[in-house]
Amino acid sequence: MLIVTSTVRILAFAWKNFTRNAWIGLATVLVLVLSLLSVNVVLGVNAVSQSALKMLEDKIDISVYFKPDTSPVVLETARSYMVSLPQTQNVELLSAEQALVDFKERHKNDPKILAALGELDQNPLGSSLIIKAKQTSDYPFLIEALQNPQFSSSIESKTYDDNAAAIMRVQSIGQSVRYFGLILIAIFTIFSIIIVYNSIRIAIYTQREEMGIMRLVGASNAFVRLPLILSGIFQAIISLAIATGLVTLIIALLDPKLKTLFDGGDSGLLSFFSANAWQLLGIQAAAIIFLVALASWAAAGKYLKK
Amino acid sequence: MNGRFDQTSMIVLKHVSKVYPPDVHGLRDISLHIKPGEFVSIVGASGAGKTTLAKLLIAEERPSRGTLEIGGWDITRIKSRDIPLLRRQIGVVFQDFKLLQKKTVWENVAFALEVSGETRRRIKEVVPHVLKIVGLEQKAYRFPQQLSGGEQQRVVIARALVHRPKILLADEPTGNLDTMNTREIIDVLKKINSFGSTVVLVTHNREVVNALKQRVITLSEGRVISDQAEGKYLLPS
Repeated sequence: MLIVTSTVRILAFAWKNFTRNAWIGLATVLVLVLSLLSVNVVLGVNAVSQSALKMLEDKIDISVYFKPDTSPVVLETARSYMVSLPQTQNVELLSAEQALVDFKERHKNDPKILAALGELDQNPLGSSLIIKAKQTSDYPFLIEALQNPQFSSSIESKTYDDNAAAIMRVQSIGQSVRYFGLILIAIFTIFSIIIVYNSIRIAIYTQREEMGIMRLVGASNAFVRLPLILSGIFQAIISLAIATGLVTLIIALLDPKLKTLFDGGDSGLLSFFSANAWQLLGIQAAAIIFLVALASWAAAGKYLKK
Repeated sequence: MNGRFDQTSMIVLKHVSKVYPPDVHGLRDISLHIKPGEFVSIVGASGAGKTTLAKLLIAEERPSRGTLEIGGWDITRIKSRDIPLLRRQIGVVFQDFKLLQKKTVWENVAFALEVSGETRRRIKEVVPHVLKIVGLEQKAYRFPQQLSGGEQQRVVIARALVHRPKILLADEPTGNLDTMNTREIIDVLKKINSFGSTVVLVTHNREVVNALKQRVITLSEGRVISDQAEGKYLLPS
């Protein structure tokens, strides 16, 4: 009976604390919302930049142009050898005929080029291989693999040399974005913890008189502490709801605009948040509630020493 | 809750000293024995050690040396979790009232029972009873700022009585009050003492001490310099 009475009363005290100190509570809620938003913004920026990098990486490939007289056997040898490598994601063999069709299609509005092409008796284009690596860092290895004596002498040219610098730059930007994103998340998390802790300390400081009186009239430490922790948790839950609503709204407004920048493809924003929604919500809820409870517990402790 | 208390000796201090770092002496080797039902005034000039003694009695401070027993319970090294139990045995009244301004008289008094986990039924029984003792049953729904200083102090006394304490410790309860209100408060304290509670009054009010004609313990520089059964205020004004 005593436990039930005490539990109900602790909840009632917590609710009273929460409602009576609404303005100070509002400040705490705002700080919590800003902290959650900042972490989500960093996560969102990271997701979009990853998507942008992936899009760029997807556009990278190696085009290997063979001499026009290369036999189909050599072409097939080259294709199957490159396919067999674990670093290869995809190899497309483009025949000389197909290359000619593609060339004509590309230059259909340029009558001079088409006329020049018509002057030739033979197809001047050779077959080509378009090779995609699983990872950007695999391209140098694949280029090396093209030195295979079984077919290297039939290669006329390759586009890797043109793309090498771009590949290296994208690789370096990708790594920087990932590291920078992680560092930003860590910094924002630390800032959030410090701000939230101080905001709760201020909220509890305003109640120090009541805490002192509670102690004076024989309230146990738990009875003094728990309502403060619980009202902090109420604030955390409200903050989480507001932040989730705002993040959803921002994604709904921003994602269609970002899609146009990604040629109608996935910007990474919506897909990242929808694929990880429950996980993100769970982690943020656990983190913010734990943080608020810990901060309230520690801040209240200062007034419970005597 | 009252199991730790016995009725043969209410407050016993044996060679108690309190030193605040680095070497400020609050109390020096004090030994006292206050019996159940006594009305004891502790007097002394500022810095004599009165408030230090009061803080030791409610375990707000721990003695540096010596032992301190309340109702047979050695609280010299009382554990933090036991302090609430002790404070429910000792009603405390301070000069600055310590009332919650946003709560009514009833709520302020009920608060002491609520935080101790008492049932609503018990609260409804006890609060009117203690308000009647201090003569505030008609002002139960007023807020502290709607009361005089004396009435506010009576609310504090009512709050201190809700646990039926064996000891009522009043630290300068009349410090902020005029003569009329002072007399009212002392009358309430005497009434409580007549019910059997031990009353420890910490004061420097000469008139109050002399009018009481009860035991007076005089402190000076942390030492007991006088302990008279029917004493008077000895210190110069």
